[in-house]
Amino acid sequence: MEIRDIPQSTASPVLKDEKFGNSGAELAEPTSEEEIANVLRRANEEGKKVAIVSGGTKRGYGGLKNDYDILLSLSQYKGIVEHTAGDMTVTVRPGTTIKELQQFLSDFGQMVSLDPAWPEQATIGGIIAANESGPKRMKYGSARDQVIGLRVAYPDGTIIRTGGKVVKNVAGYDMNKLFIGAMGTLGVITEITMKLRPVPKAESLVKLFVPKEQLQALKEFIVKIQDSMIEPASLEVLNPALSEKLFNREVYTLLVSFEDVENSVRYQEQWMEDHVPAGLSVAIFGRDKAKEFWKDFANLAPNSLTDQESGSTKAVLKIGTKNMDVLAMMAVEETMSDIGQLDIEIHGGLGHGITTVIITGEEYPVQQTIQHFRAEAESKKGYAVVKHLPVKLRKEIDVWGKKPAYFFLLEGIKKTNDPNNTLNYQRFLGGI
Amino acid sequence: MSLFKSRRKKKTRRDEHIEQMAAIVGQSEILFEKEDLLSYDCDGFTVHKAMPKAVVFPKNTEEVAALVKYCAAHDLPFLARGAGTGLSGGAIPLNGEVIISLGKMKHLLHVDFENRQAVVQPGFVNLKLTNSISSKGYYYAPDPSSQYVCTIGGNVAENAGGAHCLKYGVTTNHILGLEVVLPNGEIIEISEDGIPDSPGYDLMGLLTGSEGTLGIVTKITVRILKNPEGKQTVLAYFDNVEDGSRAVSGIISAGIVPAALEMMDKTAIEGVEAGTFPVGHPKDIEALLLIEVDGIEAGIDEQIEQILKVCKSRNVREVKVAESEEERGKWWANRKTGFGAMGAISPDYLVQDGVIPRSRLPEVLQRITEISEESGLRIANIFHAGDGNLHPLILFDSRIPGETEKALEAGTACLKACADVGGSITGEHGVGIEKKEEMRFIFTDEELDAQTKIRDVFNPDDLLNKGKLFPTPSRCMDIKTIVKDTVAVK
Repeated sequence: MEIRDIPQSTASPVLKDEKFGNSGAELAEPTSEEEIANVLRRANEEGKKVAIVSGGTKRGYGGLKNDYDILLSLSQYKGIVEHTAGDMTVTVRPGTTIKELQQFLSDFGQMVSLDPAWPEQATIGGIIAANESGPKRMKYGSARDQVIGLRVAYPDGTIIRTGGKVVKNVAGYDMNKLFIGAMGTLGVITEITMKLRPVPKAESLVKLFVPKEQLQALKEFIVKIQDSMIEPASLEVLNPALSEKLFNREVYTLLVSFEDVENSVRYQEQWMEDHVPAGLSVAIFGRDKAKEFWKDFANLAPNSLTDQESGSTKAVLKIGTKNMDVLAMMAVEETMSDIGQLDIEIHGGLGHGITTVIITGEEYPVQQTIQHFRAEAESKKGYAVVKHLPVKLRKEIDVWGKKPAYFFLLEGIKKTNDPNNTLNYQRFLGGI
Repeated sequence: MSLFKSRRKKKTRRDEHIEQMAAIVGQSEILFEKEDLLSYDCDGFTVHKAMPKAVVFPKNTEEVAALVKYCAAHDLPFLARGAGTGLSGGAIPLNGEVIISLGKMKHLLHVDFENRQAVVQPGFVNLKLTNSISSKGYYYAPDPSSQYVCTIGGNVAENAGGAHCLKYGVTTNHILGLEVVLPNGEIIEISEDGIPDSPGYDLMGLLTGSEGTLGIVTKITVRILKNPEGKQTVLAYFDNVEDGSRAVSGIISAGIVPAALEMMDKTAIEGVEAGTFPVGHPKDIEALLLIEVDGIEAGIDEQIEQILKVCKSRNVREVKVAESEEERGKWWANRKTGFGAMGAISPDYLVQDGVIPRSRLPEVLQRITEISEESGLRIANIFHAGDGNLHPLILFDSRIPGETEKALEAGTACLKACADVGGSITGEHGVGIEKKEEMRFIFTDEELDAQTKIRDVFNPDDLLNKGKLFPTPSRCMDIKTIVKDTVAVK
């Protein structure tokens, strides 16, 4: 395989990207693990810096450089390596999109229990590297709960296997965890083995619209759901701006999905109808409409492929708090002084504590808003990471927020795996 | 007055280090005389024994940190210990360690039902957590068989599993935050308050299951779950193991996710029936399955129907659904005390802990039968069939010279059989000292090296739980090169 220069005139936005950076002077598109290892080994020896890309949706996620020496694209390293239906495990290459993977598995009545954004564009390698999750994380957990094994190319070209191919395994350190969410700073994931679940036999989505002034009633209802024995797959709340966009109603919306056998789903829908706060009513999407809705929902946020217009600035935040503090994040907007024309769309999961905030507006107020949300999250011992922002602004705002007291351990791990800072240099927390 | 009365004073092991550590925890909170240390010379893995220098009982995180700092400053090897139920020797003081017992840090600190989390000290007993919150309808999911005595701190160190982890996951899936004393005595908080996805590498995931070699956990935030609304348990008897194994596959491929799916073979059944909780299983069956489905009540019946159908299609001799909570409890007590019950039919037994891809169950069980025949030792199988986690119990008599060695060899052969079909050498008991060398069955030198380098980041002087988890690097370079070549990049 040759490493080739990116021709300036014909470069696709995926590869040459002034707006989001994380690009490279040369492009490498390996089609085998050996080629990946060779690219890394050579770069490492020659002191070159490598950026990793695959689907190209996360170019706006971390990183202070416009161009690295080499852009290592995994988009051509894709496909299913191994699937044993009876074992409920699958091994897949990183360049496979989540949609391709789910489509393959659906023929066997199985699925990977991850519902991250942009299933048609985002690849499993990037999803694991950035630890992306969606609303149904509440029931199924996140990437760290699904991944049972990895193959990883270290910067010196060594291939390391972590975990294994069995669903339960405590041999040695759980090294899988190191690479999940590490933003490609410790090694290049070349193969992912995950455990699978059966596709639920029935599914539905119950929507509850709650007027702005009844936020307290919504909170009480959510506590009641959590304290009941029903088992929602999602408990996602949308702020009025996002509800307006999706349902034409400027109210809070609670999205409760159920995935189980038919009788169970029907019973839980009924439970919702029976327990809804006085004066409110639920609306139910059946299986097909629910699927359709979640598909659209997954494409709500801008990404570095879709956010190519100039004009307004878009930012996406990932906020982590305790579960119930998600509601406080919904209301942060109300504590802000008027700083100009802004759209702030928010959704957050009361069952998992992750809130997503999509901010659109002029550069300055967008920056102010990011800081405001971060301060609010930190006041609740949480954090706010900016997971989509143009490179110019990434140089001005620390997108990862403050470093933990144990940062020296993170630095130590980075230094152990990547002593020359070859991989995704400065892409992650504290410039590691 | 007797002429023979010794005037010699009893020799004490009290020294300067003991004095200094006693000053940290108090005179009453340290053991150092030989007779007091005897019960700390091993854990649940009794084949190896070694004497600690002392056992100290800190009451809080600050005392743990002070002890660790003292040990680090004086090059004293040390390790942490919970209830000592570990089955792989992780808490055995191989190097005459100072044992930091967390047995007195045993409190439930906080329960937050709204956010579904609880904060415990490491010495808090697993089952006590469920007992403390069950009146409100909540429980803690990981349920190792020793849960009535093992501690949550130990569960974190070993990443403990249990019968119900098929549906609910193992310890690592239920840990939300950790307070840790690092090997240099520094105290750190990871994911304080259980905040999800704290930015940075997932140290919580790395520490869980690190067998006490990266730090000492002093506070744990765990996820608590609401009790399932309904629960039904099925018991199925088979005339051959093959049919039982196929029923397991059948249930999984019917799209059912049972809460538990356990199997026992004939020898194991003989053991549990001779033990404390017999339930009257027929003596002549070859295998039994214990299957539990839980969740929304309205959805359980159809899953049970399907399970019964699958069992019938696999020539089940008899299959029944528990008719009462009492009956269900009996079945589970019979299963959960299964290891100990082997004592009723054999003077000694060795528990192994291999994992295989579910679909390879019949061939691996066949291989274990061969190992039993080759060694001349009986092997009972009690295992988590749903996730392919086998527990061959090798029955032997340590009074017969050479039999202990034979049992250890048979155990290693069972692990090799698991590794050979792409499995693992441990699913929940850990590596400890027991399976150090067997790590080579599944990892190359480079892969072991990648792990020990991570250990060095946390534990550079290797004073904390030294000599555990990783094989002794004794091979010459030639062999290393051969191993390297056999695992070439794809």
